Amino acid sequence: MTTLAHIPQLLVYGVISGSIISLGGIGVSLTYSILGFSNFAHGDFMALGAYIALGLFTLFTGLGIPSAPFGPLSFGFGFILAFILAIGLTALAVIIIDRLLFRQLRRSGPIILMMSSIGVALGLRNILQFFWSPQPHYYSQAIQPAVSVTALNIRIKPDQVFIILVAIVLVVLVHAFMRYTKMGKAMRAMADNATLAQVTGINTDRVIIWTWAIGAGLAATAGILAGIENKFITPELGWQMLLSIFAGVVLGGIGNPYGAILGGMVIGISEEVSTAFISTGYKPAVAFVIMIIMLLVKPTGLLGRKD
Amino acid sequence: MSLLTVEKVTSGYGDMEVLHDVSIEVKPQEIVTIIGPNGAGKSTLMKTIFGLLKPILGQIQFADHEITSLSPDRIVRLGMAYVPQVENVFPSLTVRENLEMGAFIRNDDFSDRISEMFELFPVLGRRGRQQVGKMSGGERQMVAMARALMLNPQLILLDEPSAALAPNLAEVIFERITAVNETGVAILIVEQNAKQSLSLSDRGYVLAGGRNRFAETGENLLANEEIGQLYLGG
Repeated sequence: MTTLAHIPQLLVYGVISGSIISLGGIGVSLTYSILGFSNFAHGDFMALGAYIALGLFTLFTGLGIPSAPFGPLSFGFGFILAFILAIGLTALAVIIIDRLLFRQLRRSGPIILMMSSIGVALGLRNILQFFWSPQPHYYSQAIQPAVSVTALNIRIKPDQVFIILVAIVLVVLVHAFMRYTKMGKAMRAMADNATLAQVTGINTDRVIIWTWAIGAGLAATAGILAGIENKFITPELGWQMLLSIFAGVVLGGIGNPYGAILGGMVIGISEEVSTAFISTGYKPAVAFVIMIIMLLVKPTGLLGRKD
Repeated sequence: MSLLTVEKVTSGYGDMEVLHDVSIEVKPQEIVTIIGPNGAGKSTLMKTIFGLLKPILGQIQFADHEITSLSPDRIVRLGMAYVPQVENVFPSLTVRENLEMGAFIRNDDFSDRISEMFELFPVLGRRGRQQVGKMSGGERQMVAMARALMLNPQLILLDEPSAALAPNLAEVIFERITAVNETGVAILIVEQNAKQSLSLSDRGYVLAGGRNRFAETGENLLANEEIGQLYLGG
């Protein structure tokens, strides 16, 4: 009985974790469908974003930019400014990585690109360790009290509400972009058929830049939100989430960003709810098991295409 | 004056030569058909003209431009369009979105052109918001042609437009091809089963074993007994 009583609370944790996994998954899915490879550096793009935000926040605090917390939240103007700039700078850094590395290897096929993404992952993580050490860094050390919602039998912190809201707003924005803008439509077209996109006159290089920018921007957001939720960040932050992200992407149907959102949410919730029944140590195994079952039962995923 | 000139082109995949010394020509507003058995190199020729394959030897000119080593996205801008044989539409996009992609390089308002395409292909006009992946083979072929026409090309390359279509549907497609030609667009078609295509062509070429075999008017190719037996199924 006590176990079941915990489930509403675990669902809340699951939605928070699922929001972060989903934001990471959108980028993995876009890179897979448009550039044709599994990007193992995506988790480290998240960590990069989290550390850029930390660096800027520290700088802004030093410059005297106001950082008093907004209302019940644990952060204020200085941090939000660092957050937004970190999204842009991460996108820029990833576009530069593409120009220097992935673009040169574009014709070499998916295996080479995937292997080189592992190299990028290790490189980025070590750069972060070099500058910030492997030790955790804190966005905020203040203790934030959770608010009880008695009717639902849950407790939730204002920061956690913020995380969920940011994820919802970004998912809606990504949807609108993909559906209604010329570049969004071109991204879907290129995911359908890259050769035909080129034959049609679509500027495929520009589509690729946008793909990286959106994927990396969302990765940075996911990394920073993970930092807000956990209170601290380490260079391993994204790499540790990569399994859950890939599981979510595969579950939803690789190559379909909507699948990545759905899959990420299911993985996040499953991982948290599983702790009511089995040891928390098995959380990563839950993601693994769901991914393997999905690959056995329906390899194209929940929202995957049949072809 | 010719619109497209392919001069002694040798081309293929990597070290494997598929075309040897092939020469063809398309004049403005003509319909030209290239026929030949499976494996004759017809699709290879199309891909080479459109810059998807680089010729090993030879030259290609289009509308007073040397296009021998240009990439497809540059060739599109010069006024040529290409409809591949298979996978020639964006299946997850709607009909209208497919046409919008055809006009990607245009930054002005091209809604008039979309209306023109819907007049030329009335079936599409009624189904602008439908996802193309859920449409029939004949309808997809029309989406592919309309997409290729969005930039008002002078020449459009059609790779086996009637392949895998039922005979009555093929007839509809060829009737639409004639209608497109009447708007002033030159058309280069490659076909395996080519009677229908030759009958509406100004001229035709026979390609076999990667080489030019015959070049004649469409009528004369149809009337030629040897060609009839060898390439048109008697």
